[in-house]
Amino acid sequence: MSPLVLFHLAALLLLAFGLYGLTSRRSLVGMLISVELMLNGAGLALVASARLTPASDELGQLGTLLVMGLAAAEATLVLAMVLVAAKRWGSSASDRLSMLKG
Amino acid sequence: MEQLAYAAYGFYLVLILAGGWAAVRCRDLVRALLGLIMTLFGVAGMYFLMAAPFMALMQILIYVGAVSVLIFFAVMLTRAPGGDAGQEDEERRPARRAVLALLSGVLPAAILAAVVLTQSPQALALKPELPLARLGQMLTGPYVLAFELISVVLLAAMAGAVVLGFERRKGA
Repeated sequence: MSPLVLFHLAALLLLAFGLYGLTSRRSLVGMLISVELMLNGAGLALVASARLTPASDELGQLGTLLVMGLAAAEATLVLAMVLVAAKRWGSSASDRLSMLKG
Repeated sequence: MEQLAYAAYGFYLVLILAGGWAAVRCRDLVRALLGLIMTLFGVAGMYFLMAAPFMALMQILIYVGAVSVLIFFAVMLTRAPGGDAGQEDEERRPARRAVLALLSGVLPAAILAAVVLTQSPQALALKPELPLARLGQMLTGPYVLAFELISVVLLAAMAGAVVLGFERRKGA
């Protein structure tokens, strides 16, 4: 197998882990961890494609940098939302958040 | 030298596998977070292997340095009254949930893996390392709009987090 395929398979492994965790976790923080796994897989696939194919190297690396920035923003916002949910329902388990109007 | 590269790839893959397993399976959220950090280091090693050291260092700086600390704060601040910090609830039907989650995780990845294995183009030899100055030129030249937008998004996220976390004073 070529190095490109190997790196892409590692990225897909991260995607599988992330999707599995996102569907099986019961707490919002656990789901956030799974989302970070998936975003990392996306970055890995982007950089591998940029480095090992004729595609523009700068574009791939800058794209991954933007993905990292978005992940940081998303983690900040999710932290605040989890805090609000935990304060209102007394727990951060996703099953408790079934009310439409609090 | 090539054998050495494959050995390094295998080592990083083991880091990713073990860390990912811990991140999605551990009931203790602090252990899951440690698994995530292990995975992040594995991915950073893969960036080094691709001769993209800037990406590897940014990965360690942003993910390991900032994002995982944020997640640790989330674990710490959301514990149930009387309960331990960062424990997940007991499952009602754990086997069924695990099987369905496995299906939803593996199926899309398997379809994409089939595409990768059959359609992947021939990999080139590794290009020479991209100088950091070139990235800076691109970021302040053609992609300046994306650069500005990501800072606006970050600012909006910070402001939103402050607004959500703000507690109104009683009686004010």
